[in-house]
Amino acid sequence: MNRALRELLAYPSAVAGLGIIVLLLAMSVYAVATIPYHEAIRLWRGGEALWADNPRNASPVWVNLLPGRDLPHTIVVRSGQALSIEKPIGGGVRQFSMSLGFDYPYRKFPKELAVFLDPEFTDRAPNVSLFWRPPDGTEIRLTELTVRRSDVYRISSDVRLQQELGGRPEAVLLGDPNAPEQPLRGRHELLIRGYLFEEGSRVEPKLIVYGEVHGLAGTDHQRRDLIIPLLWGAPIAMAFGLLAAVGSTLSSVAIAAIGVWYGRWVDGLIQRITEVNLILPTLPILIMIGTLYSRSIWVILGVVVLLGIFGSGIKTFRALFLQVKEAPYIEAARAYGVSNLRAVFQYMIPRAVPVLVPQFVTFIPAFVFLEASLAVLGLGDPVLPTWGKVIEDAHSRGALFTGQYYWVLEPAVLLMLSGLGFTMLGFALDRVFNPRLREVS
Amino acid sequence: MAHVIAIPKPRARAAPGALVRVLTYTATRLVALFLTVVVGVYLTIIVANMGGYVDVIKKAAIREQVGFQTFFDPAMRRLPVEQRQARIEELIRIEEQTLGLDRPFLLRTVVYLQDALTLRLGFAERMTSDTGSRLVKNVILDRLPSTLLLFATSQLFLFFISVIWALSLSRRYGSFMDKLVVGLAPTSAPPAWFYGIFLILIFSAVLRVLPFGGMVQAPPPESKLAYALSVMRHMILPMSALFLSTIFLAVYSWRTFFLIFSSEDYVEVAKAKGLSSGAIERRYILRPTLPTIVTTFALGLIGAWTGAIVLETVFNWPGLGRALFQAVGLFDTPVIVGSTIIFAYLLAITVFVLDIVYVLIDPRVKVGFEGRA
Amino acid sequence: MTSNGLLSVKDLRLYFRTLKGPVQAVDGVDLTLRGGRTVVVVGESGCGKTSLGRAILRLLPRNVQKYTGQIWLNGLDMMSLSDEQFRKEIRWVRLAMVPQAAMNSLNPVVRVGDQVAEPLLIHGRASSLEEAQKSAAEVFNQVGVPIDFLDRYPFELSGGMRQRVALAMALVTQPDLIILDEPTSALDVLTQANIMNVLKTIKKELGMSFILITHDIATSSELADDAAVMYAGQVVETSRADQFFREPLHPYSRLLMASVPTLHEDKALGFIPGHPPSLINPPKGCRFADRCPSRFDKCSEEPPLFTVEGDRLVKCWLYA
Repeated sequence: MNRALRELLAYPSAVAGLGIIVLLLAMSVYAVATIPYHEAIRLWRGGEALWADNPRNASPVWVNLLPGRDLPHTIVVRSGQALSIEKPIGGGVRQFSMSLGFDYPYRKFPKELAVFLDPEFTDRAPNVSLFWRPPDGTEIRLTELTVRRSDVYRISSDVRLQQELGGRPEAVLLGDPNAPEQPLRGRHELLIRGYLFEEGSRVEPKLIVYGEVHGLAGTDHQRRDLIIPLLWGAPIAMAFGLLAAVGSTLSSVAIAAIGVWYGRWVDGLIQRITEVNLILPTLPILIMIGTLYSRSIWVILGVVVLLGIFGSGIKTFRALFLQVKEAPYIEAARAYGVSNLRAVFQYMIPRAVPVLVPQFVTFIPAFVFLEASLAVLGLGDPVLPTWGKVIEDAHSRGALFTGQYYWVLEPAVLLMLSGLGFTMLGFALDRVFNPRLREVS
Repeated sequence: MAHVIAIPKPRARAAPGALVRVLTYTATRLVALFLTVVVGVYLTIIVANMGGYVDVIKKAAIREQVGFQTFFDPAMRRLPVEQRQARIEELIRIEEQTLGLDRPFLLRTVVYLQDALTLRLGFAERMTSDTGSRLVKNVILDRLPSTLLLFATSQLFLFFISVIWALSLSRRYGSFMDKLVVGLAPTSAPPAWFYGIFLILIFSAVLRVLPFGGMVQAPPPESKLAYALSVMRHMILPMSALFLSTIFLAVYSWRTFFLIFSSEDYVEVAKAKGLSSGAIERRYILRPTLPTIVTTFALGLIGAWTGAIVLETVFNWPGLGRALFQAVGLFDTPVIVGSTIIFAYLLAITVFVLDIVYVLIDPRVKVGFEGRA
Repeated sequence: MTSNGLLSVKDLRLYFRTLKGPVQAVDGVDLTLRGGRTVVVVGESGCGKTSLGRAILRLLPRNVQKYTGQIWLNGLDMMSLSDEQFRKEIRWVRLAMVPQAAMNSLNPVVRVGDQVAEPLLIHGRASSLEEAQKSAAEVFNQVGVPIDFLDRYPFELSGGMRQRVALAMALVTQPDLIILDEPTSALDVLTQANIMNVLKTIKKELGMSFILITHDIATSSELADDAAVMYAGQVVETSRADQFFREPLHPYSRLLMASVPTLHEDKALGFIPGHPPSLINPPKGCRFADRCPSRFDKCSEEPPLFTVEGDRLVKCWLYA
């Protein structure tokens, strides 16, 4: 065992493969530890409300390291930083005015502007008017509204405002009048003036100037931080791949051994089943099951294992066991009346280990990519954040056309790495366990 | 020892006996394969129908058919609405009875099996073929040639290049090229569509030299030559994706295979006999390993068929795979089930062709196992 | 039909490269053979006798490290020939082989008749397939294989038949010398005897020269005119067969012969304790010294070949 390990490590590809696998394991552990499963699901499926603070389709922050890129970050201005003046005007009504100011240092316009109003009141909702004050001191009226609970005023989506200003609000409001293509550097302010009608009424506004970059991985069309599916994709992919590989390979070995041992009609039956299985098209059947029954990853896993048991692996094992069966020690065991169960499991199956181990490792990426294929086709698990799902989101929203390469590349690279890691290890294992290959390569 | 020799004509044994044996073998395999297909398709139907969906398909088809009939029947048109409705329901009930939809489940599945085997796959719910037909059979078979074009070309290309390259590598064991190929073998882990995405990114999005997808430019050019050229141009990226995702593993496998087989004794003898390396490669390495090569190739082909689905989706290639994808999106169950069955047939045909080729190149089959020591 | 198959090998060396170091399989071998005679090369497994055969035939493995020495065949300096010249002029034309375990030496997908006819076509000895097949039929006769087997595939033949076919294949171009590597070890006793008879007949009728490589001294005694004993990559004794079988000189040869059962004597069978040295970094001095019952001080130095009784050579200090 130790000798095998040392031999294995002599191959640089094995070391690289192991390194990648360790990295993936670390990612998985980190993902599960920092964001527990239910939390991850909650975040992933939570909807816009959870992610409202993030820009939509933002690139990762490291994109700015590329030459010629200077994409703005998101600026959040909270009411805590605001100056608020209140003035009672009688009848329990207070007039208030707040200003949320910020410096805009970027050379490109923000993606969006939005104001989150978080009022506190019992019966009568406060009434506010919003103004914009660019550094040159002018005031531009935005809108007036009665605030409902957790209201969001999206400045950028206000069509009426857009028509009034004659252009996209975020560009016009922050634009330099002398050079309208560029934002005006300096202090911009959002002015909120309004009336509070109750004693305990309050307004807690939050201005978000959405940038074009966010986080290590960027965001998707639902403003979700992509780091979550990227991180969580690792344990899911690994778990699926490992379980599927274990399930199908072990079953294949056992069934092949049983078939060879009992021979005649048992073996014949297994052969026929294998032939039928050869004709059953895996992916279309999975598609059928995914559309007609359930897309749950457990169901898919089960079907994948079922279809995989009688696949190509079983032929290899059968050929091996046919040879093993003729071995003298097997004949001896029969002579002293070994029980069938013992013969199969203690004498024959261990001989399959040199073939089993490399095959098992090499199969893992096949399953990982199968799950990704289903996801890309839109049949992935509806709940889980997987790499395939991210690719599917990106593909169906034309990420390659719109230049959002990161959206496709990040999960693709991770998938590629996983595939390569296990395959490299698998190949090296094959060379270690099968000397005939070794002397040749 | 007497040196009087009676030399019979060399191929006296070959002709009639061998042909009969080949035909018998082919026939046997065909029957066996047919049975396998029957079982496979039956299983597919059971899976599809467990949710009762095939029944739904059938009933919808009946309803549509009856509706169609009554629409063109003047006698029916003259009837008042409620009577007409009652009459329609009556006709539907009769149809359903005729088709045995009121019979037990197992019997029905046998009927569906018959239908599937004769390619009576029902009507699509939403998709149509190019000719406007709603028959699932036409919807699918319409798109099959495109898939075949892409796949057959790619696989043939792949086969010849990988075998030739592998032979050349096995001669140059330990060289830089050899080590490079061995090192690159793991690049075959990702499926073709995966490479497709990267290729589109590089060549279509960034470099803009090749089209994003589709089979031919829109609108398609008039002249046949321009059309063919456009198709070829659109085939470059998907074929490259297929090629890249398989080539290094294929060459590595064949090369290892050839190396192992070139250490066989009869290859040594061939060298001792003074055959040139070319002759040795052809007759003593390639010929004996051809059955195994062909088997592995066919198995790879089988895997590739179902890989077509995502590949065609990524490249928007109008073939069987993309049809299936569209059907999923439209939830067009008849097409989904029908496509699965067609895929099963494709696989069966591949296996059959493999068997035929095997017969032709493996003398043990031709000669029929007699006189084995 | 025959020419003076004079073979002269001097200081032939063949080393292979392995992970553990160079294997010195053939380590300075001298051998001579006169036309029409058979020399049997005997030795334990791993002594290098198969490699010797390969070296003479220039069938070098992929990991060859050293291939030097002189090989003269009928006055022709073979080592000086390029690979291509060797292929066209020597291979099978003048030097042929019958390899070990002929089962595997036949191409499984080509009919045996075609395989036997093949060398004639390659070397231009026959101008058409028919002519080549006629010669193949002739040679089938000589080895005792029925003519209708010409159209069969190897898997249709029994082990003994395949061996004969391999022999026929070697004879078809009428080479000067045939090297046979363990021609009978994979066969049962009866077939062994048959094959030996065939070889004897061919030797007598065609005057063919053979190098017979084997560990089975007993069966080779009928065919051999000369004997050479190999140990650890070197030839330690050569002499005429009758002299050798009657009275071997080298201590190793003596022990070998002592371990062979005889029919008419009641002999206690001897054996040689220990095992042969590794061919990677072989020991200095006489390589048999460790196991030799007659060793003495001088044996720590490598002995040269001493001439005894005029034409016998022994690599042993006892005969200095």
